[in-house]
Amino acid sequence: MSKPTADWEKVGDRFYRKTQLYTDVFDQDLELENYVIAGAPYSGAVALYRDEDKLHAYRGTQTAKPTIDIFSCAGKLIRSLNIDKGIVKALGWSEDETLLVVTNDGTVRCYHNLQNDFTPFTLGHGAEEHGVRACRFWLSGFVALLNNNALIAVTRYDEPRPKLLATPPSGDVASWAIIPPAYTLSRSVEVLLATGKTIYVVDASECEDRMLENGPFKHIAVSPNGNFIALYTDDSRVWVISSDFQNRLSEYNSRVKTPPKDMQWCGNNAVVLAWEDEVHMVGPNGAASKYFYDSWVHLIADTDGIRIITNDICEFLQKVPDASEETFRLGSTSPASVLIDAVDLLEKKSPKADDNIQLIRPNLDEAVDTCVKAAGQEYSIHWQKQLLKAASYGKSVLDLFNSDDFVDMCETLRVLNAVRFYEIGLPLSYEQYMRLTPERLIQRLVNRQEYLLALKVSDFLRLPLNKIYVHWARQKVRSSNADEESICKDIVHRLDGKRGISFEEIARAAYDEGRSKLAIELLNNEPRAGKQVPLLLSVGEESLALDKAIESGDTDLVFYVLLHLKKKLTLANFFRTINTRSMATALVEASAAYGDRELLKDLYYQDDRRLDGSNLLLTEALKQSDSQHRNDKLKLASKLLQDSREHTFQVKAIDESQRLLRIQEVFEKDLGESFVGLSVNETIYKLIKSGNIKRSQKVQSEFKVAEKTYWWIRLCALVSRRDWRELEEMSKTRKSPIGWEPFFNEILGAGNAKLASLYIPKCTSLTVPERIEMWIKCGLITKGAEEALKAKDISSLEMLKNKATGNAVHEIERMMAQLAPSRR
Amino acid sequence: MAPTATLDASDITEKARRDLLQLLEGVRGKKNLVIEKSLAGPVGLFVKFSTLQEYGVDKVFFLENNNVDSTQRNVIFLARGEKARQVQAIAEQIKRVRRESKQDHEFSIFWVPRRTLVSDQILEETGVLGEVNVAEFQMYFVPLEKTVLSLEMDDAFSDIYLRRDPTAIFLAARALMLLQKSQGLFPRILGKGENAKSLANMLLHMRAEEDIDASSDPSNAHVHSFDLTPSATIDNLIIIDREVDFPTVLLTQLTYEGLIDETFGIQNNQTEVDSSITGAAPSQPPPQQTSGANSQAPAVQPPAPSALKRKILLDSTDKLYTQLRDANFAIVGTLLSRVARRLQSDYDSRHKANQSINELREFVNKLPSYQAEQASLKIHISLADELKKVTNGDLFLRVLEVQQNLAAGADPSTVHEIIEELIARDCSLTTVLRLLCLESCVSGGLRQRDLEHFKRQVLQGYGYQHLLTFAALEKIGLLIPRVSAGAGAYLNPLANPSGAATVTDYNLVRKSLKLFVDDVNESEPNDIAYVFSGYAPLSVRLVQCILQKPYLAQLTNPRTAPAANSQPSTATASGNWKGFEDVLARIKGPTVDEVQKGHNAAASQARKTLQGSGGGQVKTSIVFFLGGVTFAEIAALRYIDGQLGEKRRLIVATTSMIKGDTAVGAGMEGRSFKMR
Repeated sequence: MSKPTADWEKVGDRFYRKTQLYTDVFDQDLELENYVIAGAPYSGAVALYRDEDKLHAYRGTQTAKPTIDIFSCAGKLIRSLNIDKGIVKALGWSEDETLLVVTNDGTVRCYHNLQNDFTPFTLGHGAEEHGVRACRFWLSGFVALLNNNALIAVTRYDEPRPKLLATPPSGDVASWAIIPPAYTLSRSVEVLLATGKTIYVVDASECEDRMLENGPFKHIAVSPNGNFIALYTDDSRVWVISSDFQNRLSEYNSRVKTPPKDMQWCGNNAVVLAWEDEVHMVGPNGAASKYFYDSWVHLIADTDGIRIITNDICEFLQKVPDASEETFRLGSTSPASVLIDAVDLLEKKSPKADDNIQLIRPNLDEAVDTCVKAAGQEYSIHWQKQLLKAASYGKSVLDLFNSDDFVDMCETLRVLNAVRFYEIGLPLSYEQYMRLTPERLIQRLVNRQEYLLALKVSDFLRLPLNKIYVHWARQKVRSSNADEESICKDIVHRLDGKRGISFEEIARAAYDEGRSKLAIELLNNEPRAGKQVPLLLSVGEESLALDKAIESGDTDLVFYVLLHLKKKLTLANFFRTINTRSMATALVEASAAYGDRELLKDLYYQDDRRLDGSNLLLTEALKQSDSQHRNDKLKLASKLLQDSREHTFQVKAIDESQRLLRIQEVFEKDLGESFVGLSVNETIYKLIKSGNIKRSQKVQSEFKVAEKTYWWIRLCALVSRRDWRELEEMSKTRKSPIGWEPFFNEILGAGNAKLASLYIPKCTSLTVPERIEMWIKCGLITKGAEEALKAKDISSLEMLKNKATGNAVHEIERMMAQLAPSRR
Repeated sequence: MAPTATLDASDITEKARRDLLQLLEGVRGKKNLVIEKSLAGPVGLFVKFSTLQEYGVDKVFFLENNNVDSTQRNVIFLARGEKARQVQAIAEQIKRVRRESKQDHEFSIFWVPRRTLVSDQILEETGVLGEVNVAEFQMYFVPLEKTVLSLEMDDAFSDIYLRRDPTAIFLAARALMLLQKSQGLFPRILGKGENAKSLANMLLHMRAEEDIDASSDPSNAHVHSFDLTPSATIDNLIIIDREVDFPTVLLTQLTYEGLIDETFGIQNNQTEVDSSITGAAPSQPPPQQTSGANSQAPAVQPPAPSALKRKILLDSTDKLYTQLRDANFAIVGTLLSRVARRLQSDYDSRHKANQSINELREFVNKLPSYQAEQASLKIHISLADELKKVTNGDLFLRVLEVQQNLAAGADPSTVHEIIEELIARDCSLTTVLRLLCLESCVSGGLRQRDLEHFKRQVLQGYGYQHLLTFAALEKIGLLIPRVSAGAGAYLNPLANPSGAATVTDYNLVRKSLKLFVDDVNESEPNDIAYVFSGYAPLSVRLVQCILQKPYLAQLTNPRTAPAANSQPSTATASGNWKGFEDVLARIKGPTVDEVQKGHNAAASQARKTLQGSGGGQVKTSIVFFLGGVTFAEIAALRYIDGQLGEKRRLIVATTSMIKGDTAVGAGMEGRSFKMR
């Protein structure tokens, strides 16, 4: 086994290592120099597209159709996409391995999950007229540069909203780059444009000249963490400056006449220049190292290093991670390196192993940690094992040690080794894996249709499996040639009893393939009623969709379906669909009540709901502002119910209301006061109050207002009129239908105690103490006493005596005296 | 302190607050906020206006006023997105601002509590979707008190019962589902009523869906699948459909808080009274803020509706109010004077001779709280005075007489005369309708003849537009004609295949659940009936059927249940309807009883042990009132909570607070034939 340091190289005072990931990557016939190449972040897939600008030999008609080919890093063809329209100007990837293809007319296609179908959107902002020149991508968005130097930024792909950035100056753009939003001060994307001798920094609101003198710059590259910028000057030098353009950090002279074809960052501390078959790596302080290849070289930058791809090999160039350096550097005396020696000795059964352990005893835990970390950084399985063995040996000596990291690392390495296998072709580094997260790794495996591995990895990492099954089923729906019934049966059978399966997604795939029947059949297995709705609408199963929406209980969904139905169906059909479903009808009624009254009217008519229809007319009558229209509406309302016998009361009431309105209008004319809008009782009240007793009586008889009611109204009206004379007059009446007590109360309440007292003797139905109480309220203690005397109630007299003052006291004493003998 | 797994209202408040502020922060720079009126109150419960200002809110507008101006580049709408009307209003305002303003605007809409498909569709059709940032502000439950959660959906009652629009039920299910996600499944769901049934079904449904949703969402898959095991802290969920118990709403509440609500109205823990009653608010920070309740101050100060009104905060931060709120109004006077005397003697203690420095310091430290208490005492004395005036009024007593008679099961025809008199005297229509509805509800509808008679009276007394009112009330089921054919059905529940009665047989239920207690003690309550001075709310009796079986058994049948006598009333709470099936069959609507078990027995067990349910755990029961709850019922439930002891906690949740006027008002036609 070769030493792990075999592929290390010292550049300046740092070590860099170039790990060979795969060999025999591409077919030798593939002329890489004629291709544009873009690699997905975190060692994802590689997309190749034939560069239109380059001449190529005519190969007959089969190559006439341009394609984008997606390969794994190991050179396995995953998919071939046909590009039928437009000239591809840029290829890029997003974090979740969505391929973005931008054509010169500003159309962007998002190919999700490495599949054939895509969702398109257009850039707008003049992209169509001026044409797209190039694009620069970051993990979740990109910036497009148009031929007129306009810049358009897209920051998300789920709901893309292309935004025009500030206008940069015109002039030839020698090179350009972006700083992703996550690394700028303004938290929005910034674009660096090398125009003329200087560089402009453009963001959403402004364009700023950085006043450089050394341009034109052939290349600009921004480091992955956004802190540094590398510039390639016209006189073949590389400058590394800080991204605020304040400090120049290092400079390197390549001494090559031709400018490099590409310049990329390798991690955050080295810049890689690529010519056709030559690569320079510039470390800190201008130290450099050169590599030469047999064939054309492509660079794919990643967060922690850079991939170098030729026809023959795929390599990963990175700075040696600290843990590895500490462990393996020649002459290292770090505890970890001693520990790894120890395990070596242990294998040779040398007693010195323990000496080593004792030597680093105080730092042993640190050594173990370092070994575990270094194991993660190794690509060679042998050295991974060796390092883990060392760690294991070390921790066996320690008394107290938390093995979680060790166990996690073992699991992680198993996964990493599995996916690095050339048939899978995902050469993830440990750091990339951490950033990618296990869930998205599974997604990647599924995208590559590596279902078995995905299931095993998920199981191993205790992740949910349902998504994998769903993806499998969707793929099956897409590609299977079997008849629909057996596909459905097969899928349902396989997924039976698995938790969390979204049949809706599978059905959608079937629908997208044009297999509507299969889609509906699959949907029947979807437990979430709500999820079925949109798809059912798409396949034209409206009434089924409505049923499902109702079943879900989500009124929003029901509304949504109803809106859809109303647009699609004729009114009659629409009503027919909803009238068997009470919830749908209720919702239509509720929402129409505020807007679409005509719809409501039609609905009531269609369903023969006359009372509701009549009530609707009644509300409309209430809204009318002139009497003619109102009467018309009222007439209609009553006419609607005319024939049915159970609504006679309603009809009568509506007719009465018309009559009332008519009478009120007459009163208004005669008396010059407003009456319309008052109720019958209020009308009577108002008439009495203004002294029109005759008219009030007419209203009473016209509307058959009960005598009792009339008396109450009269009483209240007279009291409020303070018509004491009339009230006194009334007290002489023999009988009142409401009794006399109300008269007493109301008049007393209005403050006329004297008049009120007139009514006390008339309240014959009340008990003596109650009447006494009434007298007291009027302030007529003596009268009360007389009442008590009549009833021979001595205790009330006592009570009255306490309340009395002056003369009344004697009076009461006299009465008590009268009573006293009779008791004896 | 480590976060406990028990349901804590302050967590909900805190989360809502954080979410809202985060959303506001997401919109950079100064902004104008346009808020739906019905949301202003609930939002005010957890953020102050000054906080909003700190987060860049410049001005606040009400959506309904349609007057947002273009002074700020950013305009934010905060509204409920369930109804098309609201969405349309927003779309129009956006268009208007865009048309009128010279500068570019950034529009954001925060939908409460969720973004709906319909809203998206409408915005798209009106052509504004492309230019607005749409986000969700997931505000479901708003805690009014530590043990009272409300969705604060003012329209819930009319939506559910009048328009039969189940949106509120669905959102309630969502809200409860969120609770389940944080607390674990409710091990048992009990309930009564048609809508309770559909709510329970939705919950079961959502749980099944949650399984899929959770596992298809990679970021939180494990957390959720673990959470969907039965909760160890929550014992059960009891859903009471308002429809099951309309009478309780229709009766006049006789607790202090209930009466304040009936008389002045309580909105979002605040009541508004004429400043002539309590005296104007003393100085600019109003007293409720100085008394340590500053977190509760209103977020949106409406442009001073009238200087004559004064807002008074009514919640548990006011210690005095906590003592008073649930008391029957009859004893509030006594309570107040007792407190007044205590305060006086405390205050006088400063004159005591030979006080040590320490005692003096202690006294000075307490001084602010004395002053706060003094201030609140003053307010409550004046409020009580005002209420006293109302309750002593002739009309009030008449109304009460009718109510008590009806509640006690007297022959309805005896009260007809009084109702007629009330109509003739032009007593407020809501009051009259409440009485009529009450009669209809307790006696299974009014006889056709009586009904038409009263309808005529009302139409003549208050206007013919109330034909619509009657139609609406009939739809709600508050005022219905008695169906003679239906009588057979409910006398023989077996004839009904669903086993659910369509009309409650009050005479029977009154007896078997003892809904009317004659010897009620208002000052030392011995039964929940004290809240209505005799009538025990059916809704709360239903809760007792589950939680206080022995007590109820003994109460309703003192002779044949001697065994129950010996048991303390709190001992057994098996959490089901057992023993009361016969009565339930006579009450309107189906009975719900669902048990929720975890998929994974091991996980359930783990959860239990994690939370240490080894006996010391407090068990919580959530009582959810679908369609609204009255303050009197809350008082009764608090009383039960006290009876149940330390080991059990009751939490009341509801769609909104309700009182009789709201219920009847839902059906009332507001317009008249008056010319405009």
